[in-house]
Formats: sequence, C-alpha cells, structure tokens
Amino acid sequence: MLKRSQWLENARKLDWEFSYVQEEEVFPEVASGKPWLAHEQWKHWDEPYRTSFTEYVRMQCKKEDALAAIREAIGKPEDFRRLPRSWLSALKLHAATLPLAEFAAVIGNLRGARFGRDSAWRTMATLGALDELRHTQIPLSSMHGLVRHDEQFDWTHRFYHSNNWVAIAARHFFDELLLSSNAIEFAVGTHFVFETGFTNLQFVALSSLAHDVGDRMFEQTLNSIQSDEARHAQIGLPVLSAILEHDPVYAQYLLDKWFWRAWLLFAVVTGFSMDYLTPLEHRSRSFKEFMEEWVLDQYVRSIEELGLKKPWYWDTFLSSLDNYHHMVYASAYSYRASVWFDLVVPGPGERAWLREKYPRSWDGFDRIWQTVTERWEESDVGNDFAVHGTAIVTFCNLCQLVLSGGTPAKNTATTMIHDGKKYIFCSEPCRWIFEREPERYAGHRDIVKRVLAGEAPANLVAMLTQYFGLRFETWGKDAFGGDYEWLKRRRVG
Amino acid sequence: MIPLYGFLQGDSIGLLVLADENDTAAELAEKLQAAARIRVQAEANVRVVYQGLLIASNTTVAQAQMSALDRFDVIKADLP
Repeated sequence: MLKRSQWLENARKLDWEFSYVQEEEVFPEVASGKPWLAHEQWKHWDEPYRTSFTEYVRMQCKKEDALAAIREAIGKPEDFRRLPRSWLSALKLHAATLPLAEFAAVIGNLRGARFGRDSAWRTMATLGALDELRHTQIPLSSMHGLVRHDEQFDWTHRFYHSNNWVAIAARHFFDELLLSSNAIEFAVGTHFVFETGFTNLQFVALSSLAHDVGDRMFEQTLNSIQSDEARHAQIGLPVLSAILEHDPVYAQYLLDKWFWRAWLLFAVVTGFSMDYLTPLEHRSRSFKEFMEEWVLDQYVRSIEELGLKKPWYWDTFLSSLDNYHHMVYASAYSYRASVWFDLVVPGPGERAWLREKYPRSWDGFDRIWQTVTERWEESDVGNDFAVHGTAIVTFCNLCQLVLSGGTPAKNTATTMIHDGKKYIFCSEPCRWIFEREPERYAGHRDIVKRVLAGEAPANLVAMLTQYFGLRFETWGKDAFGGDYEWLKRRRVG
Repeated sequence: MIPLYGFLQGDSIGLLVLADENDTAAELAEKLQAAARIRVQAEANVRVVYQGLLIASNTTVAQAQMSALDRFDVIKADLP
C-alpha cells in the first residue's frame, strides 16, 4: 500500500491542459476573479493542512461525536434556562446572525471549489463547503429545541428571511461577500480578512467568555467550528499572495474594503455581547482589548509581512474602536422592539467598568445612559414604550447599519449625490467603498428610502409587525423590564 | 413634508425629521430634540447647522433651501 506522501500530491494536484476549450472559458474572470492569470501562475498554490477527503471524514466524525456527547450532557433547555438573562440575548444575537450566513458561505466555498484556479485550492474549498454546511446545521439544530421555551430563539432560522433592519444589513454584507463574489474576492474577503482576521474574536475570545458565564454548549460549539475555520481559512493567504504579485493595488483594495465591512458587523454582534450582554462579573476584558489582542496585532503583522499597508482609514478605525459599538448599542437599546433579543441598561457598576475601559470616549455615552436611566426612573416597570424611540432612524447606504458613526459629539455621516440621487453614509470608509463600485451598490434601497417609496410602513408598530416580522412575544424588550436594583423609581407630575 | 436627516449633538444616531417648509430652524431643532429625548436632554441653547453654516433661528426650511434627504445638525453649546 502506498504511503500518504506517495499519493497525496496526485490526489490534490489534478490540473491538466485543456485541448477542446480555452482556459479562459473554463475559468472566466467573472466567476474566477481578477487578475486573470494562466494556470502556470497558480500551479504552485499550496496550503499547510493538505487534508485528504478520507482524513477529513474521519476527523469530522470525531468532532461530531464529541459535540453530540456534550449536547447530550449539557445542551438541554434547562441548561440554557440557568444562564444569565443578558447572556441569553448574546446567544440569540449570535444564533440568528450565524447559521444562515454559514449556509451562504457553503455557496461561496462551492464557487471556489469550481472556479478556484488550482486543484489544491478547489479541493480545500470543497472541504470548506462541507465545513460551512456543518456550521449551519449545528446552531439550527441546537437552538431548535429552545423555541418552545422562548420564541425569540425562532429567529435563529427566521432572521435572514425577514426584512428586519439588522437582517437587511447582514444580508447586504453576506450576499456580496459570500454569494456574489468571484472566487478570488471570496478567498481574500472571506478566508483572509473575515476568517483569519476576525473570527478569533468569536472563536477564542467569545468562547472564553462563554466558558466564564457557564455556557459550555456555546463554548464547545464555537471551539468545534473554530477547528474547521482554522483549516479552510488557509485558502486566503496563498490566493492573496498570488494576486499581490500581479496587482498589488487591487489586493490592497480588497483587504481595505472587507476589513472595514467586517469590522462594522463584528462591532455590532460581538461588541454588544462582550461589553453589554455579558454580566459584569464574568467580563475579563473589554471588546476593544479583545480586538487589540486577537485582531489588530495579528492582522497588521500579517499584512505588513506581505508588504501591504494598513488601510488608509486606520485612524478612523482606531477611533471607532472606542466608539462605534457604544453608539450602535445605545441606539439599539432605545429601539429595542426592532430586534429579536432583549437589551439591558448598563447600571452604575457597568458604567464605571466601561469608563475604565474606554476613558477617551465614555463621557459622551455616560450622558446618554444617564438620560435613559432618568426616563426609566419616571416610568413604570415593564412599560417599555415609555423609554423607547418612535422617530424613524436612519441608515447608511453602504453598510445598511444605522447612522451611528463617529462620536456623540460629532456624527461622521456624510452625504453625496450620484447620478442625480442623494446618498448618505455613516463614515468616510463606507462612502469610499460606494464610490469605488457604485454600480454594485447604488440600486439598493435602505429602509428610509423604502418608507418614503411606500414599500415599508412609517408607523413604528406597523414597521415592527408587518415589515420586520416581529410580534409582542418576540420583539426585544428591556431584559429586566426596567426593574433594576440600582434604579430609584420616582413619580412625576 | 420634507424628510431630512437630523443629527443632534450628544446623540448616538441620526434621525429622520419630517419638516414643513415653513418650519423655522428653531422649530426644526425642537422636533429633533423631541425625537431624541429618551437619550438626550433637550436644551434651549441650540443652533442649527446646514451645509457647514449656522442658520439663524428664525430662518425657515424653505429660506435655507433645504431639500429632501439633506442633512442638518443641531449643536449644543455645552459639548466639546
């Protein structure tokens, strides 16, 4: 019997020269990506795992067995009910945004499996597609049993099928990155930036928080998924290295575009969870500290080793580390009925912790939370709409998230006219991305424009129920009904 | 009604304000402050900024030539 080293290359490197068709027809630029290079330029493509299909199946079987055993032991509804209320919200936020995005990643990987420019790349992308299918199924399956106990968990599946504002933003991001990108842009945007650059934030940092909170099921789920991601994310670097050699300007553009877009999404999903929804006694570090440790150091080092530069907006990004997720959380709290999970008001202890962690920016946010607290002080317990916004909020025409860029003192929203139409963006990087590819983005209508066009209702309750697909039972509320130990209720009038 | 993007200094988000063309800058500021009141205490001493210029409090939306989906800011004196 042949040893692995004797047959592996024959199994991974299966490219041949085409005689009946041109190579450009087999791998058209529209699907394979640019710069279009003959296979000669890709033939040395390699990645460190070099996994065979047999090895993959054996390994995945073990992971599935381990996860099933853990789920059997600690994945029952009563185990979830023991978790802190605010942490359950973090779980619902992740449960909704994760699985069907992973399913879109199956399609992105399959595009790589067909249009990737080397057979070893295509082999790894095939395994990546199988990975992502697993990452779709695990949370869908583990959250399904919870729906009967808490209907908000139904949003694990419902989320991407809704017109909820967060879903519109997430779809805008993932549709472009995972469903419509060519194989090269997918490899750079997804494997290099999103998976290599950002997902340690989830799989290492958030996983450790889940451990501290006592959510062993989520911790183990993240760990199991991480082991897959670490493998297929390796597609990114060799693809980036190849295009860097032939078109460094384009390589830099792809990195800068997807770093900014990924940052905004992670700031909302992970930033909320780490700095607000994790109970104070379980917090070890702030979102910013986790970002600095698990994203910034590694990402900057990896791009500089390749001879690439930090994104041109680096100073804006560093400032947003102190501000962006705080801006969006305060906004989301005051429009919490528009989401499918409950939110909390940071109390005196949390506010002191946030001030310590964000000394440069917290003053502006503390004023906001002081005002929110005063509104609750003059409202009855459970009267959520007494402390809730009713005006229509505004959205960025690129990222589709709320216009919460900058700081409370200075919002960075910026407007422009393109083809006679007005557009508004939360930040200069979002505007820059739009300006680079207006044909890709100009046709998308944000919620404000849908309201003005009569496609979506302007009335808040109609918007929540008819357009966002929420009901009283499922829309977000204050997790404690405004009934906090530290809050002194007073009668007014 | 003219839909405008309003940004109140001290707030965390931009809001859509439906303005009448006869609204003065002072009334516009009042509308935005009312819409943001759960996050930001309303103040009397505010000014409207449009296209980088301070607008006199009695100038109307029409006189300032604001049109649909333009941005305006309401700034407060006590914030940096």
